[in-house]
Amino acid sequence: MKLKTKLTLFNTISKLVIVTLFVLLLPVLIRNINQNFTDNKLQKQKTKLLKIIRTYGVKDYAYAAYSPLKEEYYNLEEDTITDHLNTIKTEPRRIEGDTIQYRILSYNFLVAKKNYLLEIGISQDTVNERSAPLQSVAFVILVGMIILTIAADQLYSDYVLRPLGRIIKTKLIGQKFPNFGSYKQVETSTEDFQYLDISIHKMIRTIESTFQKEREFISNASHELMTPISILQSKIENMFESEEISDEVKLRLLELQKILYRLKSITKTLLLISQIENDQFLREDSITLCALLHEINEEISIRLQDKNITLNISIAEDWTLVKINKFLLYNLFFNLINNAIKYNKEGGEINIEALRENNTYSVKITDTGIGISPEDLPYIFNRFKKLRQSLQQESFGLGLPIVHSIADFHHIKIDVKSEKGVGSVFKLVFPKELIG
Amino acid sequence: MNVLIIEDEKALARELEIFLTNYNYICDICFDGTSASEKVAVNLYDFILIDLGLPDYDGLDLLKEAKKNNPDSAYIILTARAEINDRITGLDMGADDYLAKPFSLLELQSRMQAITRRKYGLKNNVIQLGDFLVNLTERTISFGSEPIPGITKKEFDLVAYLILHKNRTVTRNQLSEHIWGSVVNDDYDSNYIDAHIKNIRKKLNAYATTDWLETVRGLGYKVKINA
Repeated sequence: MKLKTKLTLFNTISKLVIVTLFVLLLPVLIRNINQNFTDNKLQKQKTKLLKIIRTYGVKDYAYAAYSPLKEEYYNLEEDTITDHLNTIKTEPRRIEGDTIQYRILSYNFLVAKKNYLLEIGISQDTVNERSAPLQSVAFVILVGMIILTIAADQLYSDYVLRPLGRIIKTKLIGQKFPNFGSYKQVETSTEDFQYLDISIHKMIRTIESTFQKEREFISNASHELMTPISILQSKIENMFESEEISDEVKLRLLELQKILYRLKSITKTLLLISQIENDQFLREDSITLCALLHEINEEISIRLQDKNITLNISIAEDWTLVKINKFLLYNLFFNLINNAIKYNKEGGEINIEALRENNTYSVKITDTGIGISPEDLPYIFNRFKKLRQSLQQESFGLGLPIVHSIADFHHIKIDVKSEKGVGSVFKLVFPKELIG
Repeated sequence: MNVLIIEDEKALARELEIFLTNYNYICDICFDGTSASEKVAVNLYDFILIDLGLPDYDGLDLLKEAKKNNPDSAYIILTARAEINDRITGLDMGADDYLAKPFSLLELQSRMQAITRRKYGLKNNVIQLGDFLVNLTERTISFGSEPIPGITKKEFDLVAYLILHKNRTVTRNQLSEHIWGSVVNDDYDSNYIDAHIKNIRKKLNAYATTDWLETVRGLGYKVKINA
């Protein structure tokens, strides 16, 4: 889940919880407030009444009364209770046949050795009537404030997290290692993000320069090796032709030549890979895939014949590829087919078919060879990686790395599936822009 | 024919000289661009072999300069920096061919022969091999008046290469480099030359003997033509 989504979720949920709690507590709170308010009012009325009684004497006021709507209730009478009483309670009173709940203040006092009890009441309904509007006003204000804070939080986290999103979008997603392009600082006043941005940038630079150095090294090393190899090759060839050399020495010269060809082959292959990786080839050719494969078939037929392998090509005649490099694509297919022969069984089969499924174009090369074991599969495109089963083969482990570099150069995706003892399937998925 | 070899690697220049002298060329050597520039100004050559990576001169500049005084020479660029752009520029500037180091001396010789044939329009392109006639222009091998069918491109290339280096043993590696040169793959010993030769013999033996195509035990193959 994205950080922003998480923050938003937390924000909203926490606020909803607070609202719910408050809504649940609201009636109790309001009732308490109301009761306090009522009790205060009763106390004040009592004080006023006592003042009146003290001024005008108790007799005129010793009666019971209630307002016509029975909202308020008043009673002053002689009483026998001697204990001092001063309470406020909620009690029922029967008035004209109705039982009504009242909030009642009870107070007794002595006047001329007579005990009097004063009761003042306010009906509970009146109290409750005041609660409802209070509650709804409080609720509306609360909800309003919550919405406001959610919106404010949202806006601010949006604003404050924007640089992070930009760092992820421009620096991490869709960046093809090691081609990063130039550095552009992400503007932010948040130090953590500045630090993150700079750190990513530094790491990218390190990776980039390491890659660059490796490429340069391979390119320079292979170039530098070419001249000494060339001298050796010429010397051996000249010696081979000279008449005073015996056949026995010639045989040994031939061994030398063989080794030199091996060295030359490795160097040339490394150079080719580095040239591909340094983007030194043009992508301007267009070819008919079928024709290219038949050309390779002709070239490679001696190897097929040698192992009695059947090569079936089923590709539409008019299937063309554009914006490619013919030399490279030729080498890609040559190496794949050559591998399919090398690791095949005597009398085996190789099938090449083109597929067109949901707008993607692919070519599948299936062999009936020895297959690749699952633990080797992730490493088959590594340079100089020789798999255990291929040790007896006369190769140096650069065939598939060439294939990989060429495929990368053309943005062709390679899917490999293999089963030991059954065979391998190399599937090349072509990007749309290469399809003519 | 006169050849100017411009190559700063002295050891390589010497080998080129030995080899070409063997093939009856008259050689002149320069180890740097300055002396080469002097030589092309006063002498006329049939072939000028230029190494592009000279320490004191841009090889392409030298090519341009040499073309002024030696417009009819054949130019072959030799270089260790097999940059694709160099190749295109070199050929655009009028070089006749381009060889990336390391190359086989036999390959150089065959390119020079091809240029000679092209430049001087050599008619003598039909060679007699026993009872067969090989036409290098039409790329056919005939018995009697009829071309033999079913000879593949690779098979013809092999025969033609052996004819070019007639009466010399050509090793499997040299043959292999010639016919597989454009492919980069990771085999170093499976050159399939024997299989090709076997096929050629099988196809031709149906008509007449092929004892002009000799196997030199352990070393390679040779086409024998009595001059």
